[in-house]
Amino acid sequence: MAKPRFRHIGAALPRKEDLRLLTGHGRYVDDIEIPGALHACFVRSPHPHARIKAITTDPARQSSGVVAVFTGADLAQWTTPLRMAPPIEGLLPVEMTTLPMDKVRFHGDPVACVIAESRYLAEDAAERVEVEYEPLPAVADLQQALAAGAPLVDESLPSNLVSVQKYSTGDVAARRREAHRVLECAFHQQRMTHLPIETRGCAALWDEGRQHLTLHIGSQVPHPLRTQLAARMRLSESQVTISSPDVGGGFGQKIALYREELTVAAASRRLKRPVRWREDRMENLLAASHAREDSCRTRAAVTKEGRLLGLELEILEDFGAYCFYPANYLARVVAMILTGPYKLRDYAFEVKVALTNKCGNGPMRAPMAVTSWVMEGTMDAIARELALDPLEVRRLNMVEPGDLPYTMPSGEVIADITPRETLEAAVKAIDYAGFRGRQAAARREGRHLGLGLCSVVESTTYGSKFYKAAGIPGSGHEAAWLRIEPSGAVNASLGLGATGQGYETAFAQVVADGLGVEPSQVRIQLGNTDVAPYGMGSRGARGGTAGGAALYLCARDASEKVLAIAAQMLGFDSAEGLRMVDGKVEREILGERVETGITLAQVARTAYLDPTALPAGMAPGLDFSKTYDPPPMTYSNAAHACEVEVDVETGAIRILRYLVAEDCGTVLNPFVVEGQQHGAIAMGLSGALLEHMRYDEHAQNITGSLADYLVATATDLPNFEVLAMHTPSRSNPVGTKGMAEGGVMGATGAIANAVNDALAPFGVLAERQPLSPDYLRSLLRSARRGAR
Amino acid sequence: MLDFELTVNGERHAVRAEPRKLLCDVLREDCRLTGTHVGCEHGVCGACTVLIDGRPARACLTYAVQMQGHEITTIEAVAKDGKPSALQQALHEAHGLQCGFCTPGIVMTFEAYLKENPRPSEEAVREVLSGNLCRCTGYQNIVAAILRVAQAASDGKA
Amino acid sequence: MKPAPFRYHRPQSLGEALALLSGHPDARVIAGGQSLGPMMNMRLAQPAELVDLNDLKNLSFVNEHENALEIGALTRHHAVATSPLVRKHCPLLAEAAQTIGHYAIRSRGTLGGSLAHADPAAQLPLVAATLGAEIAVAGKRGERRIAAKDFFVSLMSTALEPDEILVSARFPKAAPGERHAYLQFSRRQGDFAIVAVACTLLHQKLKIGIGGVEDKPVVLLDLEPSDPAALGRAAREAVDPTENPRVPALYRKELVEVLVKRCVAKCLTSS
Ligand SMILES: Cc1cc2nc3c(=O)[nH]c(=O)nc-3n(C[C@H](O)[C@H](O)[C@H](O)COP(=O)(O)OP(=O)(O)OC[C@H]3O[C@@H](n4cnc5c(N)ncnc54)[C@H](O)[C@@H]3O)c2cc1C
Ligand code: FES
Ligand code: FES
Repeated sequence: MAKPRFRHIGAALPRKEDLRLLTGHGRYVDDIEIPGALHACFVRSPHPHARIKAITTDPARQSSGVVAVFTGADLAQWTTPLRMAPPIEGLLPVEMTTLPMDKVRFHGDPVACVIAESRYLAEDAAERVEVEYEPLPAVADLQQALAAGAPLVDESLPSNLVSVQKYSTGDVAARRREAHRVLECAFHQQRMTHLPIETRGCAALWDEGRQHLTLHIGSQVPHPLRTQLAARMRLSESQVTISSPDVGGGFGQKIALYREELTVAAASRRLKRPVRWREDRMENLLAASHAREDSCRTRAAVTKEGRLLGLELEILEDFGAYCFYPANYLARVVAMILTGPYKLRDYAFEVKVALTNKCGNGPMRAPMAVTSWVMEGTMDAIARELALDPLEVRRLNMVEPGDLPYTMPSGEVIADITPRETLEAAVKAIDYAGFRGRQAAARREGRHLGLGLCSVVESTTYGSKFYKAAGIPGSGHEAAWLRIEPSGAVNASLGLGATGQGYETAFAQVVADGLGVEPSQVRIQLGNTDVAPYGMGSRGARGGTAGGAALYLCARDASEKVLAIAAQMLGFDSAEGLRMVDGKVEREILGERVETGITLAQVARTAYLDPTALPAGMAPGLDFSKTYDPPPMTYSNAAHACEVEVDVETGAIRILRYLVAEDCGTVLNPFVVEGQQHGAIAMGLSGALLEHMRYDEHAQNITGSLADYLVATATDLPNFEVLAMHTPSRSNPVGTKGMAEGGVMGATGAIANAVNDALAPFGVLAERQPLSPDYLRSLLRSARRGAR
Repeated sequence: MLDFELTVNGERHAVRAEPRKLLCDVLREDCRLTGTHVGCEHGVCGACTVLIDGRPARACLTYAVQMQGHEITTIEAVAKDGKPSALQQALHEAHGLQCGFCTPGIVMTFEAYLKENPRPSEEAVREVLSGNLCRCTGYQNIVAAILRVAQAASDGKA
Repeated sequence: MKPAPFRYHRPQSLGEALALLSGHPDARVIAGGQSLGPMMNMRLAQPAELVDLNDLKNLSFVNEHENALEIGALTRHHAVATSPLVRKHCPLLAEAAQTIGHYAIRSRGTLGGSLAHADPAAQLPLVAATLGAEIAVAGKRGERRIAAKDFFVSLMSTALEPDEILVSARFPKAAPGERHAYLQFSRRQGDFAIVAVACTLLHQKLKIGIGGVEDKPVVLLDLEPSDPAALGRAAREAVDPTENPRVPALYRKELVEVLVKRCVAKCLTSS
């Protein structure tokens, strides 16, 4: 496809959404005024695992301001259970009711819902709901989960192992036998949570007359959410409207239909009154959704020169107690894209996922975050083992531009990526060549510097073919709608759910170029399922790729009709040579652009108000819709480089420099893209250094506040140096490749590699995150003991 | 329930609320000023930061009833006649916000801080900003925006 | 996360406040609310009566005496940190106060609240213990003065009776030629310290205070300003960290050694 030349796409346009958000006039769920709304508060289990013997709600019902108290038995009458049973080999089907009835499965599991006049009164009453529990032995970690005779988290399963997938291509055993060395590496990523600064929440309004439910909820995926909500309430999709207003961050936490939200919706219908729920931070930490907690091992067979001959990967993931997603879905992607930019034929993986008595997992910005750490940590291990330069090992194994498109050993195809170019640019910019000298000089002064590299190949956009091949039901398409109003105003929408990505601006730029108007003429209307077309929403990094393409193609359709009408108005036989620029129709005469005097407003007026003036056979109006299903998978790529200093006496890590060279294809808006790069890297570093959702050995959550769950603040992060090396994708109509998660992947790996580089003289290796100071000290301590 | 008066952004509001009602909730629900956000209710995230008599404070750690006789300023009063403050404008130009949920707290903190310290170093800005969590931006553009305001102020004076 | 109901009192004088406390066994005073607020929101504290001290403006002051500064209980951390008197005469106190929490927290939190709250990792109890401050408390039987070493009893527990109010603390002025240093190690800026160390040097005698390690600040007195590393090792042996699921005791000991070494070195080279 020829590279389209853009007038507005790629411009650094400050965001349209800023003014309202800066002045306190944003509208987040909790800002919507709903007269007479009742407030919900959930009673949560203090036990990680216990049988529910009885629930006494009477004292709570009598508490001041209380309207109702509902339990699992009530909800079971009004809603259907969630069955998670996609046809994936090795994945066992599971099911959950809206609220648990027989037993609780984690500390924070909701067992009852109090509805009262205010949240204050609801909390008072929640303390008076008496639940009689019979505590059961709990499963606190993977080891316990897989032990013989372990208590069953889900009693419908034969064991806690809910999913196992194996794959092998080539002959890894043969490669091991012929290898110069076989080395094994381990990577343990801790449990985390998304922590949007706006917690979950919703407000449900049941209209008894119309038998219609409106749910205001911050959602990344309004349409799929509506489909699920309607089904679980035994309503049709035409009886449900999802309205997602401004959303205070999602990061994957605002995709699933959670049990609390379904409960609130059902309560509103039952009580015929509006009911709202704002999760508090303690609930958010304990019970919203967790993520990660993977133990990965690689076994690499290598030649003397450091060439990778064969690679085996083993992943074990702790998925928590409930499956809001297919349990294999996150870890499997890691296995499929692990090898990234490296050439390899012989590869095998085994992915196991176990249930434990913890809050259920879900995808968190870069569900495959651990990938690049595992691969690039393995590259560093090869270099260490063979006393080679880690950069040389990467150069030796990396695909050359001429190898592309390249089929990874998992069968995934990478094309239109630039791993070598970005890597070379990154090492040059960070002065890799000079670093070893600086490092040696610093060591002489007792300062320990380290440099880490991390190449990232980010799977951004999943097409329907990918899902089909992976056995996951659902679609990868996105949908766009565009209407030019009689005045010439342009409204457009997508199925995406905005959570801060600047969609209202970047997509106005897409429409501007596709249609030929100014971005200021375009209003992007998102989040309301009565307006938005049925798309799959925002997850992964598909917004710019799938959404951008759908909208661009939709705007091209609109442009075609507009120009056809303009041609008719001008008395031309065809629209050839016509185009619209910033709402004015121009004509090309002998290579010169001449204004025709026709404007979009005139065309629109004709289309709506004077249809007889339209070309013969043309339908009135200017209303367009389009869907777009992207290729099976779209990849973008980046190279990260990070320089740290480790204070070996305290274990503290200071980031001295952080740099990324990234290629995400056509950039819709460089402000937005750079903001996403910063945000993703920040989240990766925050996770690698600080975040840790901890349970004690009895599976009690000990991370119930923001003084326990630590995320990076402004003093923990450096300024990021960004090298923009974008080359358009040839398979996407706009040329975008997607981004926004790769930064997490790269940062996770780059900082770990940098810290291990700094620790190298001590002969110790950090294999776990977070890289907390006491963990580093424990490593250094053992090193010294070993030396003695 | 108690009846009392609050002065918010120079306007008087008659409030009827329980003494335990948090200032953030009264601002949002009773005064209908929803720009003050609630992100943790234990003082850490900074989203609820408002000014009490010109000094920044967590509205989630204050009971509204305590605020009788004090002047409260919220994000809604920062732009004057629809014109954003220098700080708001700089945040817009430097792409210092994404989802915007943390933004009001950050603006309130720095409206106060920059009055007290008009020409802070980057280190000082980051130190103060560490009291406001932002999960979206990585902070870099927020820091840049604040430094831009400081720079403009000192250019103006020079 | 909303507080349980309480009755609210807003006394206009110390006497009125004291009467409220002695009249209601389940009453609690609130000053800055920066520690009590979170506890009440989480319902870890549920006082039936809340006695708001914020109108007692005469409890907010920094007064200079011949050998000491007297600081009112209601003085905010920010005012302590930026007060010219405190900076001049108790620079250690000003420096430590500047590291408490965050800007907005320091604008509200009070000296009296921090001392009364007695978090073992808090800056102000550590400085009070290290400098040998004297704490004045008022009760219905009148006022009494308690030496810091007797005031801090254990984890969040002090010599304050439930019906007493902390009114001020008297910090000795730094003597001419006295040097000081403060260092703390926390996971992030503004977090409570894992270990904090304050030290002063006068007439070749070192005083070292260590916070965050035991259930109250540990003060080592009259040390010879010898090799900082040796002092670090000695301090490590002198402390007995409380077990904590988040930070292993051994790590705390290591931090004590490193921070004492660094803090002493900083003190010796300070002017
Ligand atoms: C995010 C955050 C970070 C923080 N970081 C730190 C930190 O790094 N270091 C640190 O030291 N502190 C920190 N704090 C706590 C802060 O310093 C508090 O201000 C201080 O601990 C308590 O002071 P207050 O005035 O707010 O007291 P309040 O919260 O009002 O009261 C605390 C306790 O003291 C009692 N009390 C208060 N005043 C008196 C009085 N005059 N007489 C008798 N009893 C009284 C109260 O009844 C209550 O039991 C932090 C707080 C937050 C929210
Ligand atoms: S809501 Fe007040 S600080 Fe987080
Ligand atoms: S912009 Fe989203 S939390 Fe700061």
